[in-house]
Amino acid sequence: MAMDPSTRTRPADSRWRAALAVVLVTLLAAACGGTTTSPTSPAAPPAASAAAPSGGGSAAPSDAGYTGPEATISYSIWGDPQEIANQRAIVDAFHAANPKITVNVDVSDWEPYWDKLQTSLAGGAAPDVFAMDGPLFPDYQTRDVLLDLKPFIDRDGYDLTQLADQAVADFTTPDGQFGLPRDLNVVALYYNKAMFDAAGIPYPDETWDWAKLKDVAQQLTLKDANGKVTQWGFYTETTDMENYWSELVWQNGGDIVSADHKTSLVASDEAAGGIQFLQDLIWKDKVMPDASITDALGDAFEQGQAAMESNGSWLVATHEAAGLDFGIAPLPKGPAGQATSINPTGAVVYKGTKNPDAAWEFVKYLASPPAQEQIMALKASMPANKEVLSGSFATAYEGSDVLADAIEYARLKPSFKGYNDWTTTLQTEIDANVFTDANKTAKQSLTDVLPQLDQILAEQ
Amino acid sequence: MTTLGGITRRGRGPLSGEGRWALLFLAPTLIGLAVLSAGPILATLAISLTDWDLLTPPKLAGLDNYLSLLSDDRFLKAVRNTFFYTIVSVPLGLALALGVAMALNVKVRGIAFIRTAYFLPVVTSSIAVALVWQWIYNPDSGLLNQVLGVIGLPPQKWVNDPTLAMPAIIAMSIWQGLGVNVIIFLAGLQAIPSELLDAANVDGGGRWARFRWVILPLLTPAIFFTGVLSLIDGFQVFDQVFVLVKPRPTDATITIVYFIYENGFKFFKMGLASAASWVLFLIIALFTAIYFWSQDRWVHYQ
Repeated sequence: MAMDPSTRTRPADSRWRAALAVVLVTLLAAACGGTTTSPTSPAAPPAASAAAPSGGGSAAPSDAGYTGPEATISYSIWGDPQEIANQRAIVDAFHAANPKITVNVDVSDWEPYWDKLQTSLAGGAAPDVFAMDGPLFPDYQTRDVLLDLKPFIDRDGYDLTQLADQAVADFTTPDGQFGLPRDLNVVALYYNKAMFDAAGIPYPDETWDWAKLKDVAQQLTLKDANGKVTQWGFYTETTDMENYWSELVWQNGGDIVSADHKTSLVASDEAAGGIQFLQDLIWKDKVMPDASITDALGDAFEQGQAAMESNGSWLVATHEAAGLDFGIAPLPKGPAGQATSINPTGAVVYKGTKNPDAAWEFVKYLASPPAQEQIMALKASMPANKEVLSGSFATAYEGSDVLADAIEYARLKPSFKGYNDWTTTLQTEIDANVFTDANKTAKQSLTDVLPQLDQILAEQ
Repeated sequence: MTTLGGITRRGRGPLSGEGRWALLFLAPTLIGLAVLSAGPILATLAISLTDWDLLTPPKLAGLDNYLSLLSDDRFLKAVRNTFFYTIVSVPLGLALALGVAMALNVKVRGIAFIRTAYFLPVVTSSIAVALVWQWIYNPDSGLLNQVLGVIGLPPQKWVNDPTLAMPAIIAMSIWQGLGVNVIIFLAGLQAIPSELLDAANVDGGGRWARFRWVILPLLTPAIFFTGVLSLIDGFQVFDQVFVLVKPRPTDATITIVYFIYENGFKFFKMGLASAASWVLFLIIALFTAIYFWSQDRWVHYQ
């Protein structure tokens, strides 16, 4: 099995560490015998005592910082080399403020991250704190591997309203608060200024709607003498709902799944109409390259081959690095008004952690202004802390205010148990028949796949 | 290099003495299998009878996982794709390797360099290979489409075209795996006693007759050996698909092992993934058994 060479050593490495951890924990448990019950709550069963904050209920809400024993916690994230350095800087600053807590950061690529996380959770040797993608959160929370942070929040009197509301809500369930948002992303319209200037067309703004987008995209799609397209008017990714098609569904008055997560709504006329608009941009209006071209080309906007792109705020640094002179505008409005997608990344705590207090302290720090400023500096995501969002982020770069304002009308990226299975089944169908080739209309394709989608939801 | 012929010549002798030596040489593999692999293999059999998401305790499910595989469109597609891959890539790969081995079985200056060149893809990382082939198959500016353009044919989407994707992956796999089979065939060719070829010459046999009646029969043990390895490898195809297409944008290239990976580690269905592993195991066992059974009819040991 050939994997990315840079990640090849890490899983094995962490397996050994996991195995060692299991051995050590077993030895410790054996050595301690029956005296593991916490002295602060002698009546509580061990599992509950591990989860309850030490000193809980003994005083009025007060946040005096970490007062426990020296602790080392592990923190796992997905990301690229830039993010490693960035997160290490945060960890170092945290350690300076909390000298008794040491944090070890472990970084993986996106795919191996989840493989490792699942096996380490199954082996009872998961990292104390780890990054959690919004849509995948229910798959973990419902399997009882995440620690409820509500008792810690109550103890410290921690104010959740200092963080973006949707981002907090993504990790809230009727049973508690199972994580804090670390950062977030919204989707907006990027545009290439030089291409607009060359055509003498004013830049996109908040007045734009679907018709205007199509109209300008047609004007900005240029061909050579042989009819080969030399510049596309528009570009987006079709292989995930977040990049554009979920926004189109919402802007057309449709939705993805029902609030109780039992019914798929993507085959309604409104939802299908949104996805049809995207199919038409590719195959009818021909202002956007189809997936077979973009799969090989990559991001056509980043390559300087497309005038506009609907995509996430995570691309700001990438587009800057590509040397583009670009601006950011709100997504064009649809028949049912404005909407975009917001997707937070959370920091969650492993339920079996040996250091819940230290882990909570670190999670809290990640959401605090100093850490949020550090994350924001990468321009690979937006801060989740409102103070930073309306403060330094709003003036951080050209268009950052547009992104901050987009949170107002943003809707959470759908998040439910079975998300991966559901979305893979749906994307397989529409990639093949709606986007990569126009074999079916959106309505037909979505109607065909609907029974399978509802079957997956019924199994959860 | 006469070891291959040597072993097969003596291999049919009485087992006393040699049998013990064989066991000794097999010991590292046998111990490794027993200690490291037997447990997990048996565990997957048990897991395949449960509904298990890795994180919560497994629930007994009987044969439900096996039954749901039978009605799972993606699994059936994965089985079809895997069979297509194996049935096309194994004979084609062996035939090409044999042809290349024959061509390389000459004594000219620089032949060692050429033989090494054919072996290079084998020792190159799959990632590097896939990156190069991604460029070859690029629908916009890829090498293959440039060649098509020169001879006046329309550009193709290759791995992004549901019809062409699997053939494209087969081509890459054959290219990558060719060197191993070439080496084995070369060893087999060089083990053919020159008296036999001389005798065929004296009897007036032409090139084709020499190949058909002397070389090919004497190579059948090598063909059998490379065949069984290629067959098992073929059914387990994963990394080419994983790296080159993933198997997006459609399920055109989903294979059984990819299905196992996706269900086990993405969809929290370890029971279903384990059941699929056992189905794959039974398929491979069945075909390997048939293949072994068939060797009496066509494999000639000297």
